[in-house]
Amino acid sequence: MGSEGPLYPVTHHDVALDVELVERHRCGDLQAFDEVYERFGEMIYNLAQRLAGNREEAADLTQEIFLRIYRHLGSFGGRSTLKTWVFRIAINHCRDRLSRHYPATQSIDDEAEEGSGVTIADPGRGPEELAVAADEGRRVMEGLSKVPPVFREAVVLRDLEGLSYEEIAEVLGVRVGTVRSRIARGREQLRVLLEKQV
Amino acid sequence: MNRHVSTEQLSAYLDAELGYSEIRQIENHCAACKECGARLDDMQRVISGLGRVERVAPPPALRQQIRQQVAVQPPAPSLERAYNSVRLLFFPIRPALRTAAAMGLALTVGIFIVHHEAEGLPPTPRPGEEVVTVELGAQIGQLLTTSEVADRQFIWTDDGWIQKGLEGQTPVARMDAGSPQGRALLTRYSDLKLLLEDGYPVVLRYDLETVEIRNLPPNRIIGFEPQPVPRRARHIHGSIVAA
Repeated sequence: MGSEGPLYPVTHHDVALDVELVERHRCGDLQAFDEVYERFGEMIYNLAQRLAGNREEAADLTQEIFLRIYRHLGSFGGRSTLKTWVFRIAINHCRDRLSRHYPATQSIDDEAEEGSGVTIADPGRGPEELAVAADEGRRVMEGLSKVPPVFREAVVLRDLEGLSYEEIAEVLGVRVGTVRSRIARGREQLRVLLEKQV
Repeated sequence: MNRHVSTEQLSAYLDAELGYSEIRQIENHCAACKECGARLDDMQRVISGLGRVERVAPPPALRQQIRQQVAVQPPAPSLERAYNSVRLLFFPIRPALRTAAAMGLALTVGIFIVHHEAEGLPPTPRPGEEVVTVELGAQIGQLLTTSEVADRQFIWTDDGWIQKGLEGQTPVARMDAGSPQGRALLTRYSDLKLLLEDGYPVVLRYDLETVEIRNLPPNRIIGFEPQPVPRRARHIHGSIVAA
């Protein structure tokens, strides 16, 4: 009955790739940073969108996060994976920006926007099924936007970005037990909110 | 298991984050207890619902925008070092100290620019604008996020983590995480490694002093440590002495 686990499992290949990528960046290879964007751009954009609530803000946040990554990539020590390092910068930046300018919760209005992002379609599903799934997804996102940020972050990292508990602990700088508790509380609050919607 | 299963246990169970015996206990309990069985189904539905949230590809123009911005970035480490050296000046609240801090900043920025030119580095396209610190100014006194590590609260700033309550204090010692002192500190507060992992320094209270600890990048060579000489044994008057 367990879940399928992380969407992006960490492999030795990833770690070797991380080290090589950062080394190339340190040596001035501009292509290396491009590859960092290639690997993490979509993840960070989606994370920013889930935390910010709209695509325009997510694009701004993604841009700022990648500039920060560019500035600090040379100091990446290789003691964690590049993925958790990147997510850590992203989370810290989103917290900073969103806590300054935005209320703790915000409605999801991204679906009303056109042309500011491209939805990744699942080729295995028909149009009707896709429409139902999209509707369900919108409902869940609306509920999630009302979950307090501290729990929302944990749920987004786990259920939408597929990070393991250990990875989330690294990203958030807390113990695994705290991650477990935050995910559970976030899901429980989301359940209550979804029940109210029905 | 007679007691009901907690929400945290149900959640961790669905993430396959429990040990074998706990999994069996939960499965046995949920099979017998309608209430917990229903809660488990509810939690499963929430997770499935989250799985239906569609992923969105970033706008194609975003990559190009980031490339353009990166192209005009100053050499980051030098700018960061200069920022680090003046950041603590911003914390004083009294006007006199603030004026002194501003003068110090002007002096440091001047030295920074002269130093760069002296190194023969190409000047940034608009040096004034790069250092005018819209970003630095925005950070003054705005404490960003916090992290609970080693039973203390640390505050994230753009250039590192500072233990809550130590904002504005100048560390009396700076140490590398790999040095004997650094290792001793990390042995006592091993959780700090979490904060150090991304390469930022951490300022904290340690042995009644305010200290800073950081990881040096692995490619930064500050000197060559002498290699240990192989210990050879030789006999002198029948006793063994290490050479």
